[in-house]
Amino acid sequence: MELELNDIQGLLVRGFGNLQGAQYMLFRFTTKDGARSYLKELLPLITNAAEKPPEQALQIALSFDGLKFLGLPSKVLNSFSREFKEGMTDSHRRFILGDSGENDPSHWHWGDNLKGEIHLLLMLYSKDAETLKAALTQELGRAERFGVDLLHSLPTGMLHQHKEHFGFRDDLSRPIIEELAKEVEKKTGMTFPAGEFILGYKNLYDELAPSPTVPAVEDQQAILPSLAQDGTTRDLGKNGTYLVFRQMHQEVCKFWTFLLGKGKSREEAIRLGSKMVGRWPDGTALTLSPYRNDPELEERNDFGYWDTDKDGLKCPIGAHIRRTNPRDHLVTEKTKIDSTQMASKHRMLRKGRPYGAPLTADLEPQKIMDMVTDDKERGLHFICLVTDIRRQFEFVQNNWVNFPKFGGLEHDADPIVGNHYDDKGFKTDEFCIPGYPVKERLTGLPNFTVIRGGSYFFFPGLKAIKFLAHYEK
Amino acid sequence: MSTIHRGLTVTVTVAQEKLEEVNVLLESLREELVTRRRLYQEKIPSTFFISWLTLPAQKYAAEELLPARIILLTSYVGRRNNHIQELAVFLSDQIDKVFSFSEEYPAGEMDEQSIVRFLKRKSIPQTFYSGFKFIRTEDVAHERLLKAAIFDFLTRQKQEAGFVQQSPLQIKEKIEAFVNSRDDLREASKRISSLQKDKVAMLVPLGIFGVVMLTSLVFLVLGIFWDSIVFQIGAWILPVFLFILAGLFVWLRINENNPHIANEEVSDDWIREIVLRERNRVVNEMTVIAPLKKGLVRRVFLAVTLRLISLVGYFAYIPTVHTARWLQMDRGKRLVFIANFDNISEAYAHDFVDSDNRSRNMAVIFSHAAGFPATKWLVKKGYNHRSEYMKGVRAHQKITQFWYAFNTDLSVENLKTNRKVKEGLFKKMEDKEIRQWLLNI
Repeated sequence: MELELNDIQGLLVRGFGNLQGAQYMLFRFTTKDGARSYLKELLPLITNAAEKPPEQALQIALSFDGLKFLGLPSKVLNSFSREFKEGMTDSHRRFILGDSGENDPSHWHWGDNLKGEIHLLLMLYSKDAETLKAALTQELGRAERFGVDLLHSLPTGMLHQHKEHFGFRDDLSRPIIEELAKEVEKKTGMTFPAGEFILGYKNLYDELAPSPTVPAVEDQQAILPSLAQDGTTRDLGKNGTYLVFRQMHQEVCKFWTFLLGKGKSREEAIRLGSKMVGRWPDGTALTLSPYRNDPELEERNDFGYWDTDKDGLKCPIGAHIRRTNPRDHLVTEKTKIDSTQMASKHRMLRKGRPYGAPLTADLEPQKIMDMVTDDKERGLHFICLVTDIRRQFEFVQNNWVNFPKFGGLEHDADPIVGNHYDDKGFKTDEFCIPGYPVKERLTGLPNFTVIRGGSYFFFPGLKAIKFLAHYEK
Repeated sequence: MSTIHRGLTVTVTVAQEKLEEVNVLLESLREELVTRRRLYQEKIPSTFFISWLTLPAQKYAAEELLPARIILLTSYVGRRNNHIQELAVFLSDQIDKVFSFSEEYPAGEMDEQSIVRFLKRKSIPQTFYSGFKFIRTEDVAHERLLKAAIFDFLTRQKQEAGFVQQSPLQIKEKIEAFVNSRDDLREASKRISSLQKDKVAMLVPLGIFGVVMLTSLVFLVLGIFWDSIVFQIGAWILPVFLFILAGLFVWLRINENNPHIANEEVSDDWIREIVLRERNRVVNEMTVIAPLKKGLVRRVFLAVTLRLISLVGYFAYIPTVHTARWLQMDRGKRLVFIANFDNISEAYAHDFVDSDNRSRNMAVIFSHAAGFPATKWLVKKGYNHRSEYMKGVRAHQKITQFWYAFNTDLSVENLKTNRKVKEGLFKKMEDKEIRQWLLNI
């Protein structure tokens, strides 16, 4: 099925890597009319997936509160997924996501409704910092004209050689949408049907992901497409998806100080850090090169664990990249095929960017270790696009990242992004590195990343935005 | 003593209007459990899990009302009689109070032996699966301690010059000497005496079935050469079995042509009520009870399937599941599925629907339950309708008012790994095997 690129927001098919400047802005509507007029004015400015803009791109997403504010009937609101309706800070969702202790929403800067009800996320991309500044001024002015209040403005910035703040190469493993993969071999675990990431298309189960709907009578202008199986209902989700946003603060000095404390030398600290991540700082996968980085392999992503590293002697089972994407090996599975099929059902399209100034310009771990203070706000704006928040994002966060029993482990949450604690003996703050004659066990891991904010959004297709902008009742 | 993990299911009917009171009582028992867990562990040591719940009346085939029920489901290791005796002694008050809401419960004073007789009389057969085999409750803490102590020992030894350079065999011998030197670990040097016997016991039904079928096949061949009445009769067994199976498949195929009736939409509130009870950090529980689809063949086919699955129970594998059981109630018109599993149901359910093989296997059982996806020839077409499967599970999931678990903080993999460590001690192994064994520590 061909993708309707003209109706899909561009972020679903590209990261706008050519547009180095970006800012994420969180807004609140104040009047329904103002909100609708604002959406009407934004609509032609939104970059669709058919375009590759050289100068600027604009994308929008709406929270459940935002959709409610627009006055959609309860039947429409109810058709959204339960987790989206409940929201990231709901008590049960918090339990599933492991947002407790330091990560409890009461400590967040945004996302908890006590700190202001967020209605709209506007993502603005521009070719550099200067043009971004001008675009921002324009967008803030536009919002003001429609009585749309800015709650938070979150700057982003690409880091040296696509690294993240700890100094490791990031964003190497990306799922490829089959419908867009013309020359890439279609392969389980590497390419994915569009329905995994875009509503209105078949997913890995050969079915359409549940999509929000609108009774036909509510769409008098017939803006939205009909649902294939039901002429009386229109598809509000078609060509859209759900967007998960988490602002993750990174404790860079704490990370390297901890590793130096455990490793006793810089080389050893880098080895331990790489074991935690699953890659060497330059991106070389430990499974491909377990003892040192290899510049020839730093971009290689076509590897698995089943055939060469089942026991985790190269890349520990609890390593970050192995937990967030176990590829072809899950300890609880008996075959490579089952492992691959299971793991591939929980992938996400990651589109986030780092924020904050890097501790050192080139992000070389050896130099980062020289730094002693780390009092600035820096981290990652984690953004992922999924058609099923529960099956994709929450499953990974709950079952693979934070569940300390993952892969037969005992007290190990994800060493990089997991929530580490010791609650009356129930611990998640260990990291085990398999080895002979006995594994190494690092204990007392603090949290190296702390959530500062987060929310679930609906990332609509352009027709859906038009419908929302024109809906009046 | 047997170390086979088994299930006991006891059920009685109850008037629908009394369910509310029973639920309140069971919920109060659940609350009491918070402070009585240790007592449960001490007094019913054969027991790994207890689920105790009520089941509202359900419609079968849109016309027959199946009665409301109280269901007690336990899993235990050891002799069945001992387990029932333990329950009757320790939980006599609770059993008396809860089951006395049913007219099937004997009137008058009930002593422990009367309760034992009642539990036996009201127990029904099931197909039971255990993710950790031949582990007793007392082994859980001991094997955990053993592994932790060996790990600490090796970590200390690793600091000693030359230790790492020693051969795997030398290292293993040092571990064994260490275990022998500790009073609290020495028991690990003893072999688990009943292990072989229990393995054989689990395989006996399959063995008998296999022998009967094989013998029949041999008789079939021999019957061509020798005209013996024994051969002639025996030779019929395999063909009749296969013929019946084939007949059942055809009968089922005809039934599969019935229009599919989907489940009613499950409300968010109901799902929320269910998932809010899954607050245990490692092990949780799920009970799904659904009326079957219309047609006698569904009841018969499922009954045959469950018995055949029982035969291969020793070889079955369901990841992350501590125990699972399937059974039929009300003359086969209801399917009961209950599982104790690692983590939460959202994650656990994916173990069934994310792999093609496994969702096909699950269809063999669940496709007979009302509302679950329609199939063709049992496993073709429809079985992999993930969303319909998940909806079916939620639509028929019941709230378990009382749930007890002996072990609350070790996963199935943890239990199995701890056992592997113990099994490897004092066992002759090649260097390569020892290296692999050391990875468990």
